[in-house]
Amino acid sequence: MNIIKIATISLRNLLRNSRRTLITVLVSAAGFAALAILAGYMDFSFYGLRELTVCKGFTAGGGTGHIQVFHSESLKKEELFPMQYGVEDNEKIRADIESIDEVSFTMPRIEFNGLISNGDKSISFLGLGVDPEKEAELIQYWNSLEKMGGKKKMSDTAYRKLEKTGSFGVLLGQQMAKALNAEAGSNLMLMSTTVDGAVNVVDVTVAGVIRGAMKSIDRHYLVAPLETAMSLLQTDKVSKIVVVLKRTEDTAVVSRLIEENIHGQDDQPMFSVIPWEELAAYYYSVRDVYNIIFSFTGIIVVAIVFLSCTNTMLMATMERVKEIGTLKAIGVSNAWVSLMFLFEGFFIGLLSVAGGLVFKYVFSVVINNSGFKMPPPPGMSSSYLLKIFSAVEFLPWIALLIVFSTTLSGLLTLLKIRKISIVDSLTHV
Amino acid sequence: MKNNIIAELVEVSKYYGTGTGRMVALDCVDLSLAKGEAVVLVGPSGSGKSTLLHLLGCIDKQDKGRVIIDGVDTSAKSLEELASLRLDKIGFVFQSFNLIPVLTAYENVEIPLLFKGLGNSFVKDRVNEVLDSVGLYDRKHHYPRQMSGGQQQRVAIARAIVGNPSLILADEPTANLDSRTGGDILDLLLHLNKNEERSVFVASHDSVVLERIKKVVRILDGKISID
Repeated sequence: MNIIKIATISLRNLLRNSRRTLITVLVSAAGFAALAILAGYMDFSFYGLRELTVCKGFTAGGGTGHIQVFHSESLKKEELFPMQYGVEDNEKIRADIESIDEVSFTMPRIEFNGLISNGDKSISFLGLGVDPEKEAELIQYWNSLEKMGGKKKMSDTAYRKLEKTGSFGVLLGQQMAKALNAEAGSNLMLMSTTVDGAVNVVDVTVAGVIRGAMKSIDRHYLVAPLETAMSLLQTDKVSKIVVVLKRTEDTAVVSRLIEENIHGQDDQPMFSVIPWEELAAYYYSVRDVYNIIFSFTGIIVVAIVFLSCTNTMLMATMERVKEIGTLKAIGVSNAWVSLMFLFEGFFIGLLSVAGGLVFKYVFSVVINNSGFKMPPPPGMSSSYLLKIFSAVEFLPWIALLIVFSTTLSGLLTLLKIRKISIVDSLTHV
Repeated sequence: MKNNIIAELVEVSKYYGTGTGRMVALDCVDLSLAKGEAVVLVGPSGSGKSTLLHLLGCIDKQDKGRVIIDGVDTSAKSLEELASLRLDKIGFVFQSFNLIPVLTAYENVEIPLLFKGLGNSFVKDRVNEVLDSVGLYDRKHHYPRQMSGGQQQRVAIARAIVGNPSLILADEPTANLDSRTGGDILDLLLHLNKNEERSVFVASHDSVVLERIKKVVRILDGKISID
């Protein structure tokens, strides 16, 4: 009962200096909104980065898909010759994997390297042998992500062109095309070592020019149809099978299912099943950097809220010295008097959270509909559409942080109240 | 005889400042206040009136001597213990009323009872009873700004007596009021003293107070004399 009475007194004291209370609430609400928007941006960034890793990737290996299946030795030992630890009979394995409900589709890939030449100039390449139709399907997976819902979808035109050009078409990275003075329709030669150790050459036609996710690999990046890579290497094996799921969240479950399905013919597992997380070093390094930046920003925002509220509380304490002295003279203990200020801080926190939710909602709607594009992150080659996710799971924690910091500022008045001499306060004007 | 004493100062001294600038506010003062007694403390400004009142009210600490309230030596008590003692034994009436502006008359009077762990219905009945006794039952939902000075002082008196203290300390209770209202307030204090047997200790310059309270303690340069 006393607590309710004291809370009532605190509320009335807040209303007593409504302009100052409003300013403090606005500052704290802005703090809440800033943190909530930051969390929404963080959520968007991590989600986008995760799905971009799956669909496009940040290495010459293309999008990681959700799961990759390798020959078990390929990750442990260096190959003595190309495709020594390739996956044989990939179609049967893929059929087995595709029988799992959560799997959307699978696709084979061959990683190969060698030299590419226009007759006058040769440069080294890192090649990726793909099924263009399936790669286009992976891009469609990205485009189907409702949460990313940007107006500008990722284009699969290059893979469609590659499909159209036929078995001996290639897609070149922008920088590579520039270095070889090549364009769509140019004829080039690919040179590599076959699985038997012989040197082999195939003629290819440039089907299109693509932009690699990272500038550093763009100069050496090419994509060829699986048949071209197989013909160049003289093999029917593939480097890996990429598994694309209907939902990224099912990765762990499906990884286990695949392991159970394609292992067990004997005691020695033939394949390694690797989820995308283990292939996404870039994703984790970016996430770590973002986490540090966001944490630091969060600390600054909370500090501003705390200092603003502390200032308000201390001003309120100074203005009410006579009242505090009177209460203490009557016999109200320091703890009870402080509780009043504690409640004031608590109510400021609650009001700030309510106001902050409104700010956050309005700003999110404005930002999400503005079509604002962020510049390319360091090392990346394309900008991206800014979006703020709702980040609902973070909001209770941010609310707790704001209410805690404003309440703590109320608690700090205890130090001041303890120092107030009753005798001096009674004569305070 | 001791059982009849509500407040006692034993060889109490109080100084302000240090070294050569030290000023003696109270100089080895001995004073006893019996239960149910009314006393007026008079003296010129700076004579130590307020200091004496503060020490009796346990809101200040003496430098020497002992202050005993209802048999309890306050010298070694902690701040929290002194707060508890004030809540139970002492009621304050201030010159400028010192009401909490955001609270109604009822809520101002209720304050001391909120911290005593009493039942709601008891608190409600007691506050209404006290407001009735000071003639402000009809104005219990008014805020201080909606009341006259005299009414505010009545609320302050109600707040002072609601916890049923044995000792009421009043510091210039009529100074901010016109003579008629001041007279009413004095009537109320003396009524409480006579009918409810509360000890009333009033510090005042007001000649009317001096006329109506028989026991007068005079203070000059930190020393007291009793008429």
